[in-house]
Amino acid sequence: MSETLTAPPRGTPVAGAPGDRQPERTTSAPRRAASVPSALLAILQGSIVWIILLALWFAAAKYFPLGDNPLIPSPQRTVLALQESLPELWEGTLSSFSILIPGLLLATLLGIISGIYVGSSALLQRIFFPFARVAAPVPPTVYVPYAIAVLPTFKLSAIFVVFIGAFWPIFQNTAAGAHALESRYRDNARILGLNSHEFHWKVVFPAALPHIFSGMAVGLGFAFILLTVAELFGANAGLGRFVQYYADFADYPKMVAGILYTGVVTYLAMSGLEAIKRRALFWHR
Amino acid sequence: MAAELRLEGVDFSYEETTPILEKIDLTVPAGQFVCLLGSSGSGKSTLLRLLAGLQFPRHGQLSWNGQPITGPSLERGVVFQDYALFPWMSVVDNIAIAIGKAQPKARKAERREQAEACLVKVGLENAIGQYPFELSGGMRQRAAIARALALRSPVLLMDEPFGALDPTNRARLQDLLLEIWETEVPRKTLVFVTHDIDEALYLGDRIVVLGSTPGRLIADLPVGFPRHRERRALFDNAEFHALRESIAETLAADTLRQLVAA
Repeated sequence: MSETLTAPPRGTPVAGAPGDRQPERTTSAPRRAASVPSALLAILQGSIVWIILLALWFAAAKYFPLGDNPLIPSPQRTVLALQESLPELWEGTLSSFSILIPGLLLATLLGIISGIYVGSSALLQRIFFPFARVAAPVPPTVYVPYAIAVLPTFKLSAIFVVFIGAFWPIFQNTAAGAHALESRYRDNARILGLNSHEFHWKVVFPAALPHIFSGMAVGLGFAFILLTVAELFGANAGLGRFVQYYADFADYPKMVAGILYTGVVTYLAMSGLEAIKRRALFWHR
Repeated sequence: MAAELRLEGVDFSYEETTPILEKIDLTVPAGQFVCLLGSSGSGKSTLLRLLAGLQFPRHGQLSWNGQPITGPSLERGVVFQDYALFPWMSVVDNIAIAIGKAQPKARKAERREQAEACLVKVGLENAIGQYPFELSGGMRQRAAIARALALRSPVLLMDEPFGALDPTNRARLQDLLLEIWETEVPRKTLVFVTHDIDEALYLGDRIVVLGSTPGRLIADLPVGFPRHRERRALFDNAEFHALRESIAETLAADTLRQLVAA
């Protein structure tokens, strides 16, 4: 063999013989050196909205309409309320997650499995898409009262509603991803003689992963919305319930603390999904 | 029945009014290296897809060893131009999955061992655990060849496999392909699609020229240069140049005919 190859560390392109075209790399050494101040700049730019909002909050709490309005608790009071409620909020988080996780897992599992098979079969598309086109856009919040009435426990009905809300975006994105399978991968699967199971799970599924993760991000967002809405209706614990409860008692510092806490939890869940996505799609560029 | 690839009266079109391929009759004896040469629009890639069993003719018959071609088969390996490795599998897993299909009884460790051997054969011993995105175009195409070899199919169909490579890599991979093909016993029946006359002359035992719109056979030439060809010597050879001229003229005449018809 005329080509000499040296063992490179994982993750770097292999330097072939001089004629070999290298895959494009976007970060060159000089640019990386210049990117330190630009990273700092990016952090500053990203903080602008936060700083302005915080300043407005301080100002509103102090001066609007004449200062010390109970509807606008000051940031200091809110932080104190948050500190005080942390144990209660943690309990609420556990309660909420005991609804969120089963609903979301079920939606992910069923959404992916059905999406992969429906998306890669013209027949199944003809059978299921006319129904999905009508059922998917129904705002899942309308199911909440009925689910609570029909299902034996509040928990079950909340899980069901979370499931419905998260299922459709995951199913639809997965089906779209499976449907968009590049023909060269399909040809290759046929040439290698892959059976149906191998075709769906070793080819269609990984190829559809970018779509699947988009669907999961939307589904996760919906799941949080439906979870908190369901908790407003009938829970005796949970994040949505916490906010509703203290609003009923006009304890606005605690209520605002609950909103902020829920925001942080949602953000962390989204970031977690994003991290999983980056790991799973390392091959995707 | 002699071992051969046979096409009889093959017509292909997506719509009846615009034929892509018309009345193709061709017999390729086992072990022959045939280059299908033609300009773009000559349907040469379509012809290869028909041989692969990925598409079916409107009329006519294709067969291998007397058996009609009714779909893809592990007897006919295919290498495409656009390095169609699965990007979510490491290079060695891309090969191992092919071995798993060709030898369903092989254990996991055996498959991996054989896959590594195939990669060594094409000079990728240092890229075994890497992913396609980490490789250059030439290396990805080496891996694609390794995967086709892993199927151990008696027929190998290649659709402009080196078309996207720079000249240096192209020459290197041509040599690699010849080296592998010439040392195998028995030799594979190889159908190689290209639009590069020099490539066809350097590689093939025979050149089949396809004319355009619709695609049909316009020339069928034996290439008699002895095997273990020397690139340099061949390119200095007078007979090589005469053949090259005559093929170029055939293609030019076909282009002219098309222009007049238009």
